[in-house]
Amino acid sequence: MAHATSDTPALQVEGLTRQFGLRRGLDEVSFEVPQGAFLSIFGPNGAGKTTLLRVLTTLLPPSKGTAKVNGLDVQADAVELRAMIGFISHNPLLYPDLTAEENLRFFADMYGVPDPEARIRELLVDVELDHRRLDVVRTFSRGMLQRLSIARALLHHPKVIFLDEPYSGLDPHAMDILDNLIAQVRAEHTFVMVSHDLDKGLELCSHALILANGKVVSVQPASEIDHDLFSATYRSTVGSGVS
Amino acid sequence: MRPSSWRQFVAILRKDIVMELRTFEMLTSMTLYTLLTMVIYQIAFTAAGGGLDVRLVTPGLIWVAFVFTSMLGLNRSFVHEKDQGVIEAILLSPIDRPVIFLAKAAGNLLFLTIVEAVTIPVFVFLFVLSRGGLGGPAWMLVVALFGASVGMAGVGTLLATISVNTKGRDFILALMFMPLMYPLLTAAVQATSIAILGGVDAVPAFWRWMAWVGGYDAIMVLAAYGLYEFVIGA
Repeated sequence: MAHATSDTPALQVEGLTRQFGLRRGLDEVSFEVPQGAFLSIFGPNGAGKTTLLRVLTTLLPPSKGTAKVNGLDVQADAVELRAMIGFISHNPLLYPDLTAEENLRFFADMYGVPDPEARIRELLVDVELDHRRLDVVRTFSRGMLQRLSIARALLHHPKVIFLDEPYSGLDPHAMDILDNLIAQVRAEHTFVMVSHDLDKGLELCSHALILANGKVVSVQPASEIDHDLFSATYRSTVGSGVS
Repeated sequence: MRPSSWRQFVAILRKDIVMELRTFEMLTSMTLYTLLTMVIYQIAFTAAGGGLDVRLVTPGLIWVAFVFTSMLGLNRSFVHEKDQGVIEAILLSPIDRPVIFLAKAAGNLLFLTIVEAVTIPVFVFLFVLSRGGLGGPAWMLVVALFGASVGMAGVGTLLATISVNTKGRDFILALMFMPLMYPLLTAAVQATSIAILGGVDAVPAFWRWMAWVGGYDAIMVLAAYGLYEFVIGA
């Protein structure tokens, strides 16, 4: 198992290919992102964004090539890697028949969080759900579910946080809370976000990547991005669709 | 630092128990199904009159009821994880996949054992005690039921994991479950027969069949444990 130093890229992807039968979900994808970066991944439906996220989070093995997160290989070091990543999806990934506290307690046990009660209390306050901690999740609104999902993802102090369309279906208040939470933990974490919202993605990112047909069309640091040119490239990519 | 597998095992098992105690969906449907089966048998045997020695067919009836009731439970054992996508969140955690298998199988065994504990006294009362009583000691019946339930829960948990991602998961589970259960059920029915009918050399004959059950449990549960990483990741 490799140990990450400050020079180790947060994401190191080389020739990554993921085959689904005859179709290539990812086709020789290569890029690097430094630690502490916020990578926004854009692309049309079917471009391979979610596949890339699933490979980077160890849910799908690559067919070819390598991918490392904080120096850990997604295949060889999968268990160690899972302990240092958090995942927030548009789907909250919570048990509806358990209370907010029971859900967090369950995942605290899954990650071996020390002193789980204190950590759960702290996070429930952060996501403004302390007053609903004993309510079953089935009774929560979409925004509340997403806030609890954020607490679930942050329980174990992950170093890299993956976000899959996290703003999808959120009301403005929930979006503000998510913005604040990201801002609070932004400095200590690397973020990888898949989004269709170009403005939001560019506002948050330090690096931006466009995928189409499973291939990298563009990967750039935010400082080098010409917003209009990037928007035009993105829109022409989305307009071209996928094969 | 890697989290303790024991803590993860307990968390999954406790969660399944808490959720079941909150809804009673699985236990209620499994128990009602078994009781309904018994009522139907009782009606049929009453209609058949007194010429039939019901104790001869009771072992088969018991296992027909428990095989189908276990399939009811197994079909539901991954429903919460699948429907809400929570299985992804579990797979994203640093857990060895076989720990998920062991915890889920333990939960399924627990629920099946509870249903058996509730319904077997009714079975014995209706079909055994009122028709000549148990031929062998009661512990034989308990050992036969528990031994075969271990195998059903273990193999069933593996098959439920495979079938949960398929269309028509009920059908797929039944299709895979029945052939794999055949050797276990052969031995379980024989051991249960000896427990109910008794006879000369009942105890050695019982243990011969239970050795078969134990061997099946050991081989199939170990195979399921070994295959689980591949099955749940597929």
